Order: sequence, then structure tokens, then C-alpha cells
Amino acid sequence: MAQRPNIKIECRNVSKSFVTEQYTINVLDDISLQVEENEFLVVLGPGQSGKTTLLNCMAGIIMPDAGQILLDGKTITGPGPDRGVVFQQYALFPWKTVMDNVSFGLYIKGVEKSKRNEVAQKYIDLVGLQGFERSFPHQLSGGMKQRVGLARAWANGPEVLLMDEPFGALDAQTRYAMEKETLSIWEKDKRTVVFVTNNVEEAIYLGDRVIVLSCMPGRIKSQYPIDIPKPREYTDPRFLEMRRKISDDTELSL
Amino acid sequence: MTTKEDYAREKKVKVSVTDLTKCYDELLVLDDINFDIYDGEMLCIVGPTGCGKTTFLNTLARFIPATKGEILVDGVPSNPRCHNIAFVFQEISSVPWLSVEDNIRFGLKIKKLPADEIERRVEAMLELVGLKPFRRNFPQELSSSMEQRVVIARNFALNPDLLLMDEPYGQLDIKLRYYLEDELIRIWNELKSTVLFVTHNIEEAVYLGQRILVLSNKPAKIKEEIIVDLPRPRKFDDPAFVKIREHVTESIRWW
Amino acid sequence: MSTAAILKKNSKLFLPVLSMSIFLSIWQVLHWIIGGEFLPSPYQVYLEAMRMFSIKIGGNSVWMHIYYSLRRVILAYLLGAATGLPLGMYMGWNRTFDKVVKPVFEVLRPIPPIAWIPIAILWFGIGEGPKIFICYVGAFVIFVLNSYTGMRYTDPLLIAAARTYGATRRQQLFNVAIPASMPSVFAGVQNALSMSWMCVLAAELVGAREGVGYLIIQGMDMYKPPMIMVGMIIIGIIGASLAVILRRFERVVCPWRRDLT
Repeated sequence: MAQRPNIKIECRNVSKSFVTEQYTINVLDDISLQVEENEFLVVLGPGQSGKTTLLNCMAGIIMPDAGQILLDGKTITGPGPDRGVVFQQYALFPWKTVMDNVSFGLYIKGVEKSKRNEVAQKYIDLVGLQGFERSFPHQLSGGMKQRVGLARAWANGPEVLLMDEPFGALDAQTRYAMEKETLSIWEKDKRTVVFVTNNVEEAIYLGDRVIVLSCMPGRIKSQYPIDIPKPREYTDPRFLEMRRKISDDTELSL
Repeated sequence: MTTKEDYAREKKVKVSVTDLTKCYDELLVLDDINFDIYDGEMLCIVGPTGCGKTTFLNTLARFIPATKGEILVDGVPSNPRCHNIAFVFQEISSVPWLSVEDNIRFGLKIKKLPADEIERRVEAMLELVGLKPFRRNFPQELSSSMEQRVVIARNFALNPDLLLMDEPYGQLDIKLRYYLEDELIRIWNELKSTVLFVTHNIEEAVYLGQRILVLSNKPAKIKEEIIVDLPRPRKFDDPAFVKIREHVTESIRWW
Repeated sequence: MSTAAILKKNSKLFLPVLSMSIFLSIWQVLHWIIGGEFLPSPYQVYLEAMRMFSIKIGGNSVWMHIYYSLRRVILAYLLGAATGLPLGMYMGWNRTFDKVVKPVFEVLRPIPPIAWIPIAILWFGIGEGPKIFICYVGAFVIFVLNSYTGMRYTDPLLIAAARTYGATRRQQLFNVAIPASMPSVFAGVQNALSMSWMCVLAAELVGAREGVGYLIIQGMDMYKPPMIMVGMIIIGIIGASLAVILRRFERVVCPWRRDLT
């Protein structure tokens, strides 16, 4: 008997517009999607599409104009530790060390110090930053900063991890390395992930399923389940075939 | 696969770099680099992160002085006054207070070309990059792809002896990137310029380059030279393309 | 060793020494041009300084005068910090509070501290009171402005990040907004000190028995330009020293801005 998958996070008819004097942009237009528990979902879209807005709505940082977002069946009303976010610009606290940054979520929750640091250390090791516990963000490279961002979000034990083009600011080789690392952490510590990107290769490498957004208005254009077993090879023929298919499907915003 | 001898046979050497070395105090960044750039060639440089690619470009463009070594353009030591070496940066560098057509005129005016020649080139470039309807707009009013096209137009209008590009498409989204790469190829074909393109993205290098130089880790040396003789337009899923890509990836990985 | 090598080795000292020498030379030349009555030579000023430090003026040694001035500044400064920083921060954090307080503040702000002197004398008499008050006003305004700016312009991304970790408004304030506004506060800290120091002189010029301002007044009354200049130089040196101390302090409190120093 097939088991019905558990829906972890869901968007129902979500719409969001940005209004100025001259025009209204329908950034998100009636978006409905469901993410299964422990699924790695990738939302792919070109530069100006509403993918970051969608993520921010799911995080609760902004509220949709219409529709609802549900976590485990309950409508969300604002941000919270049940949905962790990894930001493209890292959003690390510059006055805190790596250790304090990573344990931040636990500190807010009121977890006592030794337990906090123990959990944080585990994730610092997981992202390969052993030895840098007492460093400050300005002493780290872009790739390292983002690893702190990852560790910080993951260490707080959220039910859903929302990642907003986290590797967008990194160079190609560091990006490949980070993709590999994200996947390996996810394999060890499975969680529901919604990952936003504009990079087709990245989407296919990471995602169990890829949703393509169109832009202006932001709508779901198509969905692609990726059936290639992980870890995937960028130059595998099936991978390339998928890439060709999805690439031809995405829009170019000039 | 074409051999290096076959490749170089029909070509004229435009730029010759010999024994290029750069030290910052005790730190040796570039170590005795020797290579030629052929006239009208699209040459790509790749290397591991932090190997000194940007230092390499800056030294080539004479922004920073080399510790040792010579750069000859057309057989003569490179001189900013008579040689045209144009540079495209990672960050979009259009001049914000000038309109699109004034941006293109900008470099030409600095080089003190005659007025009618300047106008002729500006018109030609606007046509070539498809920005004629936007000639009077300011860069901030345009999308980032259009801004990049302004920068491309400005640089190509100079008809440079050598165009150096430092990963200009790194931060753009991928479809845009493909588009701009195609634009670059198209313009390069039209004008037959000599281009040196530095990038972290191996696929981009294989897509664009006729030849790829792989730099080693610091201190940087030329590790390998790979000829890419695939027909254009190139396809990333073509087995021959994939093979070269994998070869370059391996080459960077092991040092 | 070649000259270039020697110069490079001692470059840290060389440039300031060179700069000072040029300054003193220009001063000397101006002295010859303008004349001794209006502009004493560096050497005359030096002699005067030696004389002043060995006697008592108005019943106090020069060191005592410096002490009086400094004491006023530091008291006013600390008071200004204690009242100005919380006020500015709260204005920056709480929009409603800001809207209520701002109009009053905007009207009082442009009044220069010096303009407060007459009313300060009226309120506090002619003792330490008005002097400390003037310095306080100067420092207070700067503290409020800088802490307000720091708070208001905290990177919203950091606040958003804190919210995703479930931080309450209070936690956001103490854990994100306040640390994030430290660099701006520190800019204020330094400006406020310079301002206080300037104000104490203005206050002392109006009526004082002790303090560096008093020394300058004495120099004027006794028609001794060198004395005036010694007073001015003392002011300059102390002001610069205070700034250095504060910069050191900032490096300790805001280590993540080390890259900017």
C-alpha cells in the first residue's frame, strides 16, 4: 500500500503585487504548490521573477496580498524558528564570532550555554569550519561566510529550510563545492528544503523536483521531477538532457 | 584534436608575454609566465580560486607594474599611449552620468580620435549591440543585460589591440549569461578583435575560447594549454564539449 | 644602507617629523614677515611655555588649570552620554516615540551651545554649573543624533534574520539593533568629545578663574601673545590625545571594524 506523502509546507493561491504610482507589478500571481516532508524542492526563475518574494512569504518576512501559506496545515502569520532562512547576502552578525553566530538561534530560544555550543560545534564541523570558531565574519571569504550562514540556520533545527540563492555571490568553483556540501549535509540531516536559484545546473544537481517560475506575472510555468540518483554528475548524459529541457523552458528577461 | 602547431600555423602573434613575474614583497604570485596571444583570437584563462588570475590581468593591463618580464604588442613593448588595451571589469562599469551613446563616445574621446570617426564608430556599435532605440537613456534606466551591452559596445568601439575581460558575467543569471556570451562571440566575429577572457566558470571558457590556458595554484604558472576546435554555436550537452570540459576540470583539480 | 632604505625603515616617524618641520618653518617665516607683536616665533612660544609651567597663574599651576578644564569636559561628556545615547536609541527604535519627541528636538538642536551661556549663567550662577552645562548641551545633541542614525539605519536584513530565529522585539533591540548601531555611536562618541572640549573653552572665555580658557584670557589681558598661543597649543594637544584614546577604545569595543582603522 503506497503511503501518502506528508505535505510539510504549502502555498495556496498566493499573490503579491508591488504598487508604484506608474504601475503595478504582479510579482506573484496565484501560486499554489506543495512541498513534501524531507523533499528538496528547487524554485528556478530568471532574474526578475518573484522567487525571492515567494521565499520571503514562506519565511513570513512579508505577507502575501492574497492566499495562504501553511506549515503542517496551519497558516503562518510571521517569521519563526520553525522555518530557517539562508540569505544570499549572508546576514551574519558582524560583531559576533562564528560560534556565536551559529548558536544564535539557540541563544534566542534560551538554551543554556554549554548545550548551545555543543550543538553549534557539531554544525561548524559539518560545514568544515573547525578552527574558525572564534573568527569574525570580516575575516572570512565569501564561501566561508555562507557556510556559517548554512550552519547557523541548520543548527537551530528548523522544520523547513528556506535558501535564497545562497551561492549567487560566489564564483563558479566555490559554488560547485558549496552545492556538494549542501547536499552532503542534507543527506546526513534530512529536512524539508526550499531552494531558490537562477542557475539551471545548480537546480538539477540539488533538487528532487524543480519548479520553473515565469516572470511578470510570477506564475508556475512547469515542474520537473528529477529522477537521477544522487549524488549527480554535472556531465552525466541524463543530467545534460534535463538541463537542455529546462534551459529551453526558462525565459530570458532582457 | 588540433595540435598546437596546426593551430598556430596560420596565425600572427599579436601579444607576446615573456617571463612575466610578480612578487608582493615575499609573496610570489606570478611565476615566470610565457605565452603568446594570436591576432583575432579568443583566448580563455582559467584556474583554481585564488591562483592570481586578477593579478595576472592587472599586470597585463599595466594597472600594476610587473616585477620582471616583458609584454610586447605587435613586437613593441606595450605602451598605454600608443597601444589600445581595453579592460572590462567584473562589476558593471558604465558611467552613470552619461547617456548610452555618450558612454560609447567616452573612450573614443579620451583617445582623441577625429570627430567624424568617433560618430561613425558610435553609430556602428549602437547598431551592432541593438541599443539604437535607447541611445539617449542613462545606464540606470536599463536592465543589467543592457548595461553590460553598453560596456561591451564601449570597449569594442575602441577597436582595441587587446580586450581583457575579467569575469564580466559572473553575477548574472544563467540565461542572461548564455545570451551575453553569444553576443560576445557575434561581435568578436564581426570585428575580429583579440580577446583575453578570464573566468572561474569552466563551461564558459569551453563555450567561448578557441584556446584555453589553465593556470596552476599560487605561484601561478601556465599549467596546460588546450585547443578547443569545436564548431560554433557550441552546445553544452555535445559529447565532445563535455569531454573537453571534463579535461579542463581535471586539469585544474590536480596540481 | 642606502638613503631610500633608511627612509623606508623609519617611514613611520619620518613623515610626521617632516610635516612638523615644514609647519614650524612656515610659522617662523610668517613671524619674520608679520612681526613679533602679532605673531611670536616658535622659539618665543617655547620659552613662554617653559616659564608658564614653572609658575602659578591666578593661584594655580598650569597642570591644575588643565585638570579643571578636563574635569568639566569629562563630567559633561559622561552626563551627555548617559542621557543622549538612550534617548537617541529609543527614538530610532520606536517610531511613535520618535514622532512625539522629534519636533522639539529639531527646534532645540540648531541652537549652538554658546547661545546657551547667558541662560546657563542665569540658572546656575557663575561657578562650575554653566560651564558643565554648555559642554553637556554640545555633547548631548551629538550623542542623540548619532545613536538615532545608527539605530534607524540598522541593516533591515539583520533584523529580518533575527526574526526568522524567533527573536522578540525586545531581543531584536538588544541583540541586533544596539550592537549594529555601535559604529555610528562611536562616530558620535568622538565628535561629542571634540565638541565638549570646544565648548569648555567657550564657557571659560566668558567667565572663569581656572581652566585653559582662563589662561588664554590672561594672555590677552596681559598682552602676551605667546601666552595665548601656549594656551591654544595645550588645547590642541589635549584634544588630539583624547581622540587617540577614544580610537583605542573603539578598537576594543568594535573589533569587527578593525578593518576600517
